[in-house]
Amino acid sequence: MKERTVTVYRTAKKTVDEFTVPYNERTTILDALEYIRLQKDPDLMYRQSCHHGSCGTCGMAVNGEFVLSCIKRLADIPEDQAVRIEPLPTMHQIGDLAFDPAEFFNEFPDDIEYKRVSEVNTDAPVPRDMEHYERFESCIECGLCVTSCPVTEDWMGPAALASIHRMIEKNPDDADTWLDRAADKRGVERCTKDFSCSRVCPTGVAPGKRITLLGSMIKKREKARASEEKPE
Amino acid sequence: MQPMGNVSDTHVVVVGGGGTGAAILYDLVQRGFKATLFERGELTCGSTGRHHGLLHSGARYVVKDRAVGRECMNEVRILKRIAPEAIEANRGVFVAFTEEEEAYRETFEEACAEADIPTQWLNADELLAMEPRLNPTLRGGVMVPDGTLDAYRLPMHFFAGARQLGAVIRNFARVESFVFEGRRIAGVTVRDLRTGTDETVACDLVINATGGWAGKLAAMADIDLPITPAPGTMLAHQGRLVNNIIERLRPASDGDILVPQRGLSIIGSTQWQSDDPDDCTVPDKDVDFLTRAAIDMVPDFKDTKYHKAWAAVRPLAGASSTEEEGRELSRDFDVRNHGTLDGVEGMLSLTGGKATTLRIMGEKTVDVVCGMFDVEVPCRTADEPLPNYRQFFRHGVLV
Repeated sequence: MKERTVTVYRTAKKTVDEFTVPYNERTTILDALEYIRLQKDPDLMYRQSCHHGSCGTCGMAVNGEFVLSCIKRLADIPEDQAVRIEPLPTMHQIGDLAFDPAEFFNEFPDDIEYKRVSEVNTDAPVPRDMEHYERFESCIECGLCVTSCPVTEDWMGPAALASIHRMIEKNPDDADTWLDRAADKRGVERCTKDFSCSRVCPTGVAPGKRITLLGSMIKKREKARASEEKPE
Repeated sequence: MQPMGNVSDTHVVVVGGGGTGAAILYDLVQRGFKATLFERGELTCGSTGRHHGLLHSGARYVVKDRAVGRECMNEVRILKRIAPEAIEANRGVFVAFTEEEEAYRETFEEACAEADIPTQWLNADELLAMEPRLNPTLRGGVMVPDGTLDAYRLPMHFFAGARQLGAVIRNFARVESFVFEGRRIAGVTVRDLRTGTDETVACDLVINATGGWAGKLAAMADIDLPITPAPGTMLAHQGRLVNNIIERLRPASDGDILVPQRGLSIIGSTQWQSDDPDDCTVPDKDVDFLTRAAIDMVPDFKDTKYHKAWAAVRPLAGASSTEEEGRELSRDFDVRNHGTLDGVEGMLSLTGGKATTLRIMGEKTVDVVCGMFDVEVPCRTADEPLPNYRQFFRHGVLV
């Protein structure tokens, strides 16, 4: 196996530690951190769970790029480049690379559903006691979009707004209620259309596009309401 | 859901923040115990989160073990009721691709019937209509109520329930040693990784829910716990190819489960043996083997893009010295009271088990705890819906 030097941010020292890690073509940043924790420093703090980009716990900054460390491969970083691993900057830091996502999750409305109709083989017959095949939403709630967002004012953020847009797509009859929430002053109007959220999203949710669509829906509703109020 | 108040002042420490620890913790506080959980890393960071996601109807185990099959089926029914948001409640199909597999149908269906697992035979045309990407050489398949679980969000539902009822949850807090009073464990010494400081926490009972690491924790109390950490590899490709979980109609072996999850297709698994539960390096040969196994069942898998290969440790109960022996170990679980078995009072260990049965593992463990402390409160975890996993975070940041 080849070897590579990586630097890891350490909270206690307010500086970085340097480690040499073995790697092959499949080794990810998370694998490298596992090696460091198990072989070099058992106190290294970072979040991890599924190891395949489904749980959303392991977001980090690698050379300044916001990624899921479990699917970001060391081999994809040119060998002449250093590998600098840091925590996601806007999250509530609890040590080294670890953060507590409570503030992030608290932006999601309580009644956001986490499942949707499967998009695969939609014409195929389904078992007799089922309406349709279902699957989890694509959004894994990793927070990379929120971290990448340049908006500095307090607002709901791209993940929560994208989830609201998904609710409208799934339940168009309830659009009004959801649009009320998106039209909050901490909502859509704060977006500066930078679209960095869509660029960093590891599962293709395109929050930027969804926020823009919410904005158009809100405008259209305002127009419709205004014309209703006009006397004949 | 309201806290019942402490029917007992008994303080129980749970070590291990995986699915089993989550279910035990929730059950403990629901029955009125004071409970604190310690996890050395983030919650679900051991084997729990790395699960391939197959919610087992029990069909995979039923030919070998009717009781485990029946228990799985019962738990699937309960989990769909109490944590619907953590499950893609589709189906599984045990597909006969070969003549030999078709011949296994009768044995399989009989065993399922005896364990109360509903089955439906689909002939080749019916099955290909339902799952057009399956290898068209197939001969038919048996549909069962398998599903896909979210290996992170399902246990987080239990953690949310536990936190709502007042359980103390400490992640990044590693148990370093036990505090003994004679031959009784009276507490644990814990290192808080956030602060780098050690503290001692008194308790009446420790529950070792560390899965594949259970032998290591028990050894810290000089207890020899027979356990076989048995890692296995899983391989995810990008693209959802099927809606049902695809398995092979034959005795459980390697590379015979294809799980659709979100936009991924995940093929599992393999099994080898390790002395060290932390050693989870994916062998190169596993990736090639699993790729071929997936293509064999769903040829389009070859046109999908590699996403990730990873490994996780199964916490098999019992000792085994060879891989063959390891495969023969049951997927059942055991609650071991070290007071009666090893002369060390104040500690229980869980060995074995699997993700689908996390709730019942919690129930049976807390039944034992109730017996030890003369508490007569029935388990209610099967009856009450769990709060959504996002509710876990409504209680603020963990400290």
